[in-house]
Amino acid sequence: MMDLYSEIIVDYAKLKKYKKRMDDADTVREGVNLSCGDEIKLYVKVRDGKMESLSFEGKGCIVSQASTNLMIERVLGESLENIHEILENVKRMVKGEEYDKNLLKNVSIMENIRSYPNRVKCFMLAWRTLEDALKELNRG
Amino acid sequence: MNSKALYRDFPTLDRKIHGKKLIYLDNAATTLKPKVVVESLKDLYYLHYSNVHRGIHTLASEATDLLEDARRKIANFLNASPEETIFTSGSTLSLNTIAHSLVKSGILREDSKVLVTTVEHHANFVPWQRLSKIYNYKLLYARPTGRMGTILIEDFEKFIKEEPDVVAVTGASNVTGQRLPIKRIREMFEKSILVVDGAQLVPHTKVNVKELDLDFLVFSGHKMLGPTGIGILYGKKEFLEKMEPFLYGGEMIDKVTLENTTFNILPYKFEAGTPNLAGVVGLAKAIEYLENIGMNELENHIKELTDYAINELMNLDFVELYGPLDETQYGIISFNLDGVHPHDVAHFLDESFGIAIRTGHHCAQPLMLELSSKSRLDFPNATCRASFYVYNTKEDVDALVEGLKNVKRWLG
Repeated sequence: MMDLYSEIIVDYAKLKKYKKRMDDADTVREGVNLSCGDEIKLYVKVRDGKMESLSFEGKGCIVSQASTNLMIERVLGESLENIHEILENVKRMVKGEEYDKNLLKNVSIMENIRSYPNRVKCFMLAWRTLEDALKELNRG
Repeated sequence: MNSKALYRDFPTLDRKIHGKKLIYLDNAATTLKPKVVVESLKDLYYLHYSNVHRGIHTLASEATDLLEDARRKIANFLNASPEETIFTSGSTLSLNTIAHSLVKSGILREDSKVLVTTVEHHANFVPWQRLSKIYNYKLLYARPTGRMGTILIEDFEKFIKEEPDVVAVTGASNVTGQRLPIKRIREMFEKSILVVDGAQLVPHTKVNVKELDLDFLVFSGHKMLGPTGIGILYGKKEFLEKMEPFLYGGEMIDKVTLENTTFNILPYKFEAGTPNLAGVVGLAKAIEYLENIGMNELENHIKELTDYAINELMNLDFVELYGPLDETQYGIISFNLDGVHPHDVAHFLDESFGIAIRTGHHCAQPLMLELSSKSRLDFPNATCRASFYVYNTKEDVDALVEGLKNVKRWLG
């Protein structure tokens, strides 16, 4: 025990730093994991093409909470273009394909998620929600 | 009961999970299969398989005999008659058939009332809710005011004056394991059509449809050692005869002209399409296996394990238990660990101890809302659920308790 429950991942899951409401968000996006009922609310603020602020509310398992915190830590301050690239690499990592480990930085501590197909949805909840939020901002 | 002696009947129990002996505590989702059931399917497919009823040849006649013999055995098990014992794919199709047929026949209509509980599995909730929106009948909800999702008699009593046309209740909750007082409910709603979801009840106890005066009873074969994809809809003849079939197709037909169709006799009227012969034969074999053990023995064994597990889990101060925790709780225990999400609990138990439990909302989201309002935890809208069957032992419970202590140490 256990690739998925290493001390560092459990610590990330318990991180409080990014878990808060944001009143002046550009968009608030809700995501649901239908298989377990976990919900996340993502607050997104973009300025000059960069992720200026990102926070979340919601509860979930260690996998989903750690993944959310790792995601926020990784994409804060990044350009939307880079975030798109990070997202694509996260998807590749989850599928067990080759990906750019240097680009994902700390997110790659969860690369073993690929060995647990029934936990991939937990891992991807935040990332999918972010992707939806960015699409919405793009349209709007 | 000597559960260990039964081990050799269940090859799955020989499996190792992450190097550990499998401890299977997900029986409310589905049970393992004994060799005799699997062998009955093999025999059927290798030796007697054909389509039933229509053929003249030997195999067709053997297949038909096997189907109808199995129907008689299953009907006997329920103290029902074969013409009231309808084969479906499972409880979900059975419940949908009842609800849809009742509205199609005009037995349920605009001014009607249907009473359900908020502890139901979605399969006995959503059909009634959705159809109420289309056919404009009124839906009433009995809500659990007892301990952590427990339904009390008075939760039903307040609806007696409403005189509901249909009362649709679970025989036993798939989350709390509470057995509902069906006999009392029958007495309270004498004139209502009583539909009982027996998915978690029939596998654990002998249900006599005549003695309980049930109008409808449904259950699934796979939760009682039978194959997947076979279930039963028991219905009183007086209703079935009046009711329009839910599904149309082959087998259920008497005569078809360009203008009109008349239906086959019971039970075939409600069995459109080629029946699941293997499922039927396997279910009859599973029932035979259970009756050889003895339904009373089985029921006592499961109750003993349930009480033992409740006691052991109550000693863990980081565990919150749901349901009544009394003599009405059978076979199922739902709980949460303070500060650990159910998914993580299940993952850890599987990977470190080979223990299989279920987590999630258990297809009972209205009940999750009820529990959420009563929980002293930051309720995750899900629970852990351990459920027992014939092959489980006290050692399995001990392993669960040990496993949970470890989970708490690691992740809590």
